[in-house]
Order: sequence, then C-alpha cells, then structure tokens
Amino acid sequence: MLLEINGLTKLFGGLSAVKEFDMYVNKGEIVGLIGPNGAGKTTIFNLITGIDKPTKGKVIFNGQDITGKRPHVCAQLGIGRTFQLNPLFPNFTVSENVEASFFLHPQSSLLDIYFNTFTYRRNEALIKEQSLSILQLVGLLHLENELAKNLPHGYQKMLGIARALATKPSLSLLDEPLGGMNPDEIEFTIAAIKETQEQGVTILLVEHNMRIMSICQRVVVINFGQKIAEGLPQKLRENKEVIQAYFGDENLA
Amino acid sequence: MCADEKQTASKSNAKIIRLAIYGILVFILALLPLLIKSPYVIHVFITTFIYIVATVSLRTVTISGQYPLAHAAFMGIGAYASAIMAKLMGWPIWLTIPLGGVAAMAIGAFIAYPFARLRAFYYAMVSLFFGLGINQLIIVSTKWTGGAGGFTNIPHLLPTTDKVPYYYFTLVFMVLCLGALWRFEYSRIGISLKAIAQSHLVASSVGINEASFRILALSVGCFFVGIAGAVYAHYNFTLSPTCFDITAGLWLFVYALIGGLSSFNGPIVGTALLIIAPQLLSNLKQFVPFISAAILLLVFYVMPQGLVSLPQLLSYWIKERRKKDTLSHAA
Amino acid sequence: MELALSALITALLISAMYIVVALGLAFLLSVMGIINFSHGVIYMIAGYICYQLAVVYGLNQWLSLIVSVIVISAFGIFLERYCFRYAVGNLDRMIIISIAIILVLQNAVNITMGGYVRSLPSFAPGTLRIATFSFAIDKLLTFLIGAALLVILIWFTRRTKYGLQMQAISQELEGAALLGINVHQISAIACAMACGMAAIAGCLMGALFNLSAFMGDNMLIKSLELVILGGIGSIGGLFFAGLLIGSLDAVVPLFSSGAMGQVIALAVIIIILLFRPQGFLGREYH
Repeated sequence: MLLEINGLTKLFGGLSAVKEFDMYVNKGEIVGLIGPNGAGKTTIFNLITGIDKPTKGKVIFNGQDITGKRPHVCAQLGIGRTFQLNPLFPNFTVSENVEASFFLHPQSSLLDIYFNTFTYRRNEALIKEQSLSILQLVGLLHLENELAKNLPHGYQKMLGIARALATKPSLSLLDEPLGGMNPDEIEFTIAAIKETQEQGVTILLVEHNMRIMSICQRVVVINFGQKIAEGLPQKLRENKEVIQAYFGDENLA
Repeated sequence: MCADEKQTASKSNAKIIRLAIYGILVFILALLPLLIKSPYVIHVFITTFIYIVATVSLRTVTISGQYPLAHAAFMGIGAYASAIMAKLMGWPIWLTIPLGGVAAMAIGAFIAYPFARLRAFYYAMVSLFFGLGINQLIIVSTKWTGGAGGFTNIPHLLPTTDKVPYYYFTLVFMVLCLGALWRFEYSRIGISLKAIAQSHLVASSVGINEASFRILALSVGCFFVGIAGAVYAHYNFTLSPTCFDITAGLWLFVYALIGGLSSFNGPIVGTALLIIAPQLLSNLKQFVPFISAAILLLVFYVMPQGLVSLPQLLSYWIKERRKKDTLSHAA
Repeated sequence: MELALSALITALLISAMYIVVALGLAFLLSVMGIINFSHGVIYMIAGYICYQLAVVYGLNQWLSLIVSVIVISAFGIFLERYCFRYAVGNLDRMIIISIAIILVLQNAVNITMGGYVRSLPSFAPGTLRIATFSFAIDKLLTFLIGAALLVILIWFTRRTKYGLQMQAISQELEGAALLGINVHQISAIACAMACGMAAIAGCLMGALFNLSAFMGDNMLIKSLELVILGGIGSIGGLFFAGLLIGSLDAVVPLFSSGAMGQVIALAVIIIILLFRPQGFLGREYH
C-alpha cells in the first residue's frame, strides 16, 4: 500500500468534517474519491498533505507516518497535489508556473542558486527542458508566455495538473480535475491522467463528476465526512446508499 | 526548438541592454562630482544612494508577500549597532558596518520565525509595533545610544571631511548592494518568494518551505538595510531616534511605492525622485515638503502603481486615443 | 497620596482621550477598511484651529472648539470623497495619501506657526475640592466629555439607523450594498465622525497639554495600538485595550520613564497579537 489512512477524524469546533475515515491506495492505481458537495473530500486532501491537522487518526505514506506533517514536507516525500480553487500562481506565465514548481527535482542548494554555479545552470536547463515536455503533455505549449490568470478555466485546470507533475510525485492528489470543463476538455484530461498513471504515478482523485469512474480501478464514496461505500465503479453505480447520497431517498419524495 | 532559441536570444539581448543602461547611469553618476561642486547637492546624492539600498532591500522583503513596516527600525538597529561598536568599543569601521548589518539581520531572523505565521495584514501591524518598540528601546537606552537627545561624534567613515570621497564610496556601495539584491531576486530564490506571495498553498505543495523562505527574505532585507543604516551613521556622524520612527518607516514605503513595488527599478526611481527633486526644485527649504506632497498626490491619483507603470499607462492612453479617432472617423 | 490620585485621574483621562481618538481610527478601519495614518495630524490641526480662533481672533473658547470640530468634520467628508475613497482596501495607496496629508498639514502648521510650543488656555480653569482632594476642573471635564462621547458612540452604533448601517458595511460590504445601503454616504458620515472625534480630543488635549505640530504622532501610535489590540469592529475590545494601554502608560512612568512604558506596552501588544492576531474581540480581516 502506498497510502494508508486510518481512522481519520477532523473536528472544526463541534462539527465533524471527517469522521473515522479509512482508506488505502495501492501503488499504480487510480482511485476515485467521490461524493456530493461538502462531503469532506477536499478536507481529506488537506489532512493528508498537512494543511489541516487531523483531530484523530493516522496517515501513512510509503510505510512512513506522515500524519500532520507540513505540506512542503509531504511534497518532498513525493506527494503532489492540485487545488480546486486558486490552483496556480496567477501572475506567473504558464511556463513560469511549471518551472517554479520544479523546486524539488532537481534541487539546487541555496549557494548554488545564488552564485549561479555550473550545477545551478545545468539544473535550470534541465528544468526548462522538462517543463516544456510537460506542457506538451497537457497541450499548453502554445500558450507558454501567457499569464496564468488570463487563461480560460479549463486550461487553468490543465496547468494545475502540469504543475503537480513537476514535483515528480509518486502519489498525485487531484482535487476535482474536471471541474468546470467542457466535454472535449474532459476527454483530454482523462487521457492525460491515464498517461500519467502509465508513467508510474499513483493517483488519488476527488471528483463529483461520475464520468471519472471510467478510469478508476476503485472508487471510495464519501458523504458527511464518512465512507459509505467502496469498490469497483460498476458495482457502485447500483449501490443504494450511493444513489441515496447523490439523488436523495425516493421514499421521502 | 527554433522558437525557443529565438526566445533565449531575445532574453539575453534584453539583459545586455539592461546592463548597458545601468552602466551608462553609473558612469554619469561617477562623473557628477566633476561637474557639480556644491557640497549640498553632493550630500543629497549621498543620502539618495544610501536610501536606495534601504528601499530596494525593503522590496526584497515585500516580494515574499510581507509588508515590513518596521524596516526603518532595522535601519536604526544597523546604524546604532555600528555606531556603538565603533565609538564605545573602538572597533574598526570596516568591521562594525557589516556587523551592524548582521545585528539587524539577526534580530530580523529572530522575530521572523514567530511573525512568519501571520497573514499579510496582521504581519504588517505586528511589524509596525515591533518597529515602534525598537525605536522606543533606542530612546530608553540612553547610556548606550544617547537616547532622544541623539548619538553624536560617531567615528568617521573616511579620514576626510570632503564630501566627494563619501560620494564615490556610497556610489560603489550602492552598486554592490543592488547587484547582490538583484541576483537574489532573479535567481530561483526570488522566484520561489514570488510564488509564496501569490499562493502559499500552491507553493508549499511544490515543496517550498514557506516559513523558511519568508525568514530568508526578511533576513536578507534586514541585513542590507542594516548596513545602509551603518553607512549612514558613519557618514552623518550623528544619529537621532527620529530618523527611524513610524514616520520614517512609512517614508521608506513611500519612496518605494512612488517608484512602484512591481519592479526592481521602482524603489530606485522613487527614492531618487523623492529625495533629489524637491531639494533641487525649491530654493526655499520651506517648500520642500509641499513639492514632495505634490509628487505623492500625482502618483496617488494618476499612477497608483508607481512611476514604473508610466510607460504601460501611456501606451494604454495612446491606444485609447487611437481607438476614439478611428471610431469618430467611422462615424 | 494626592500625587497618586492625581496621577490616577490623569491616567483615566488620558485613557479616555486615547479611546475617543482611537474610536475615530476604528470607525475608518471597520467601515472603510483603511488605516488612516494621517489621523494624528487631523487631531493636531483641530487643536491649532481652536487656538487660532480662540487666542488669535479672541472667539469664545468653547465656541472655537465647536467651530473647529465642524470644520474638521467637513474636512473629513472632503477626505472621504477625494482621497480615501480611492485607497479603500489598498494599503499602498493609503500610505501614500496619508503621508501626503501629513506633509501638507504638518508643514503648513510649522511654517505659519513656527516652532514654538504653544498651549491653549484652559477650558475650565480652577480646581474642585472634594473631601481632602482637589481635582483640576478641566481635567475632570475632559474626562467627562470623553466618557459622554463614548456612551453616545455606543448608542449611535447600536441604536441608530446610520450606526447599524455602518456595522453592516463593516461586516459584509457587498451584501450591505446589495441591500441598498449607500456605502459612500455612510463612509462619508463615518469619516466625518472620525475626524470630529479626533478634533474634540485635539482641542481638549491642546488645552491640557501643549500644542505642537508633532503632537499627533504619539496619538496616532496610541490609536493604532488600541484599534489593533482591541480588534477590528469591536468597540468593547477597543475599550479594554484602552484601559490596558492607559494603565501601563500611567503606571510605568512612575517607576521608570515614559519611553520604557511604551516599550513594555508594545511588547505586551506584540505578544498578545502573536497568539491572537485578531486582537481581543476583533473579527478576521480581509
């Protein structure tokens, strides 16, 4: 298991945003975490990467307990992440966004950076090259000098994914990668995510667009901060509780 | 890859042009004392050079998204530290000036750690109060600093009373500091700082340690403003706490803002304009503040992003004009 | 004993004045979202206008105070309309315009009045004797005026239409505007009131202490301390902050010096803010 979550609980005041949540992700899988709005999906991501500290529970990554470790440490350990809102550096250009994200690999020391040593220049050239190939992968190469905040929404999301790839993660957390996209963009993104998996990245994604189920090996359904179902995508389509969560109880109508 | 090569070529062309412009400016400044003999004007330029280092170092901190309203107080720390070490402990000046910078940097780093947690507005306020506290501390420590009355007879920087050697010293000092700060900003360090300022969540998700970088930015900014203060102390021979109080803190920001915080050149332009122009334009000392106020109001209403935004604004107005002309022709 | 009591009265008095002036700053911060760094010079100029009217032109001193307050309040409306409106939510612009105002007003005073320190004659000379203690009437009066102003302000913000609208704007600007609240009008009123309060304090303090072109600097610092420590949007918080700071300012100089009092007060403030950035009772900003 690459990622293991045990008994994760987060209380905000008296409200439990996430309650006794368990799940796991195996290496090389694409796992979907789905649920209606407000179910706690983004909170779980924040708890994994240390933006919020869990009230209870553990997060184990690659055998190491990373519960509550700060976000940049999680990034160093190999967890990449996209954000649903404000996913970019708005005042940087597209290429600057990706290049800035290459902070960790290859990492130059502060002295190397400041004194513009050979190591630094070589690393920066490598970064430039790799960022261009990532941009090509997500289809944004033609816009490399455009300011990120000027991009249309779908492209911003793509750039977010590109940015997350730059950290060379072993686990990539994608927060609503299909949010606000039109059908063409959705197809493209799904293909890009598959391609990422083929390159060896394990993916955990959060969505409430059911379309994503087609590429997930497994899906975990969450509502009100608790897991309500888990399993193969096809099976869950017929699961009563899942339907209830999304569409409400027929008997109440 | 052809487009890529073109881009890198044009980038290095831009670099060369920029270096050339700076080189010419420095050359002109180097020639200035030969043309202008008035010691007062030389003094104005010396002060400008010192304050340019202070305001550019202020900007170095602001690019990480923090507003250090205490920056003038750090200038004071550097100034008083160097003065005390030189006068009361008799240490040589070439040592006390960097040590003054180190003192400012150490205190900056010390408070940066708890302060870095605070979000922008709260950071600015706490920084403001810290600066006020330092200022009051200077006033209180009369035994060391001479208190509110001032600290006098500070050892001279250079063994001469002529201003011209000081002019060249501070010119070289400014060029070196600006070079160092430029490199800091345009390297990956600066990129990471700007990333933090735009989105600290995204920055930390790519592995940038937000707190460490904020502390780094503040430390570097404090070091340079500290040595600027130290140079000022040994040039001015006296120090008074009012040089580093809340108004001084706001003024450092004003110098930088008038030029524009969005570009490295902004604080340079703003500081130069606000220190030099009022002195030279007015024959009566009394009107100097009003000329400064006029400059401030002009920028406030017309170009709030600072003077460096002027080319952009002008091209925008010209485009708007042209649009109107073509529209009226069509009608 | 009498010295201690006199010191206590002065302390309460200064706290009251700090609170009155700080309320002006607080109004501007919560309603308009700006930190008016020129608040100090407004306080100062009111004192000088009063001086000019009362001492130079010989007008009745209380009348001078009222005229000064009216003039400064009108100036406040002018400031809102032509200056502060453009700097809302933008600390950069606010710093620029504040310094511009400070430059103009401080140096206008410096040039026309020269460097001497002057003082307004007392508003109510004489002393009052109760039991074995004697109090200066003007200090008592100033304190009472300050307290009365506080009460009026609390009544205003909680009970009047304008006050409630101000609260609405300070909590949720867009929502308030959508409800039909005229943000510009309310801001102008808030600004006028803020300046008016500073003016009252300026005239009264100018009579109790000295007038100088730089008397506003300290008052600005105190106001900032009270507002930030008390928290944005909270009069109660400001009140407590005022009591705390006022007490420190009154007590510490008895043992040490005035500047030391400032250091201690600022240290206390910083420590509190580090643990609770929103101040005593404030809400989150931006």
